Amino acid sequence: MGGYFKVLSSERLKMSRSFIVLLLLVSPAVAILIGLLSNVSQTAMPWTHLLLTMSMMHAMLFMPIMSGIFAAFICRYEHSGGGWKQLLVLPVSRTGVYFAKYTVVAVMLAITQLLLAGAVFLVGYIKGFHAPIEWEVMLRSLLGGWIACLPLAALQLAVSMMWSSFAAPLALNVTFTIPNILVANSSTYGPFYPWAQPLLATLPGSEMDGGGFGALNLPFENLMITVVGSFIVFFTFGWIYFRMKEV
Amino acid sequence: MSELVIQTKDLNKKYGGRYAVRHLNLEIARGEIYGFLGPNGAGKTTTIRMLLGLIRPTMGSIRIFGQDLKKEKMNILRKVGSLVEYPSNYGHLTATQNLEAVRRILDVPKSRIDEVLDIVSLTKEAKRPVKGYSLGMKQRLGIATALLGNPELLILDEPTNGLDPEGIHEIRELIRSMPKQHGITVLVSSHLLSEVEQMAGTVGIIREGEMVFQDTISNLQQQASGGFRLVVSEPQEALHLVRGHGYAGQLENGGLSLEQLSDPEVALLVKRLVDNNHAIYRVEEKRRTLEDIFMQVIEQGGFQ
Repeated sequence: MGGYFKVLSSERLKMSRSFIVLLLLVSPAVAILIGLLSNVSQTAMPWTHLLLTMSMMHAMLFMPIMSGIFAAFICRYEHSGGGWKQLLVLPVSRTGVYFAKYTVVAVMLAITQLLLAGAVFLVGYIKGFHAPIEWEVMLRSLLGGWIACLPLAALQLAVSMMWSSFAAPLALNVTFTIPNILVANSSTYGPFYPWAQPLLATLPGSEMDGGGFGALNLPFENLMITVVGSFIVFFTFGWIYFRMKEV
Repeated sequence: MSELVIQTKDLNKKYGGRYAVRHLNLEIARGEIYGFLGPNGAGKTTTIRMLLGLIRPTMGSIRIFGQDLKKEKMNILRKVGSLVEYPSNYGHLTATQNLEAVRRILDVPKSRIDEVLDIVSLTKEAKRPVKGYSLGMKQRLGIATALLGNPELLILDEPTNGLDPEGIHEIRELIRSMPKQHGITVLVSSHLLSEVEQMAGTVGIIREGEMVFQDTISNLQQQASGGFRLVVSEPQEALHLVRGHGYAGQLENGGLSLEQLSDPEVALLVKRLVDNNHAIYRVEEKRRTLEDIFMQVIEQGGFQ
């Protein structure tokens, strides 16, 4: 597909010497701090509670914001050095470039999730948990959180390609992410607000213990409809835009 | 005429209600250096961006290597190297890494990186991050990038922009060597005729989006003849005599300025003047510089 793998390989080189690696560590580091300060070791399901505690900030703020930062970042060196031109005069299709760029953002987000998982294990180990790790809960949370970020990443990639400014897409991103604090608790709006989905998909919800609150009572599948719907809209928008873009 | 590498037919690009490029018919033959001239904002870069598929023409067709750009874009771009406007690079990477990022897409052997670095004499600086480079070095890296894929066609947009005289000279020599040493056809744009006339065989002059002149540089030079000048002992009387023979002329700085005449006509005129006891000090051809012609073409949209 239009040099997709070649672009991907080239992207990896461009990323390798940048400080973006440090950004990957921010959220897991904060989560470790929160985890260490919390008091969850004496509950029935310590791992789930630890995950809940540690992933709150991560899923509510960091993951949506990171989607925007990664997207803006991989467009930044193209905007600043006239890289779009250099890239697009090469024998690659626009579709190939777009998919490769999106893949990079998605992979970065996946790495962030893996690091968070590592952070949870680390804190659990430090706290001396004896209970067996609840793999299914962990997997569901982390995978769900990652998938819920994909539409946001698509939107952010689209606007980052449109605007040569680094700050504008991030401002947009933060503007939509901050209301999460309220929206995620609303059973009316929560399920339909794309930026709240990473949190809703991450928190072990109703299926696990029959509890939860607000929108968390909604089944997993419904979240996925909002997620998949917004993904299709954002991704297609970005893709078509990039194909038409005048460079 | 030899094989055309670039051929555009009635190429148009419209932004809002304004044509940036209009009815452009560009013809560039294999192995030549084509100078694409015009003042800033005439549509040179817009044309080049269309040739490279970075923007779509509003109307018209582009054929490169005899293939339609719209249908065969990938095949064409594989054989084209380019430098558009200012050099593009990734500042946090070294020259070698910048070239490697492009090489991974072009799929040429790794040894090619050292070759192109050598061609533009950047080998010594290759391990430094590009953000510390001077403009001239960035420009040379841009050309190295353009050469990386062994292109058959090189499209360089204002490659000497912002360089010092030494840098300009280096780049010019480099461009001049392309057709001879590597068999590459070159399209080089500039807003300075003096820069292009020393390397180009053919020039196209564009003004407000329209091609106003496209011919060989020697034909352009022929247009440079602008009549001749006589310096004589009694200009007033001489002018009277010249006009009596039906030639147009006027006094100019103590000499006579005459329109362009054929050689026998000049000889006859001189003889008449001598017969009438005029002392002739000088007979000079008035050559306009190419720069004058360029200005004339640009201002008037063609020769009178």
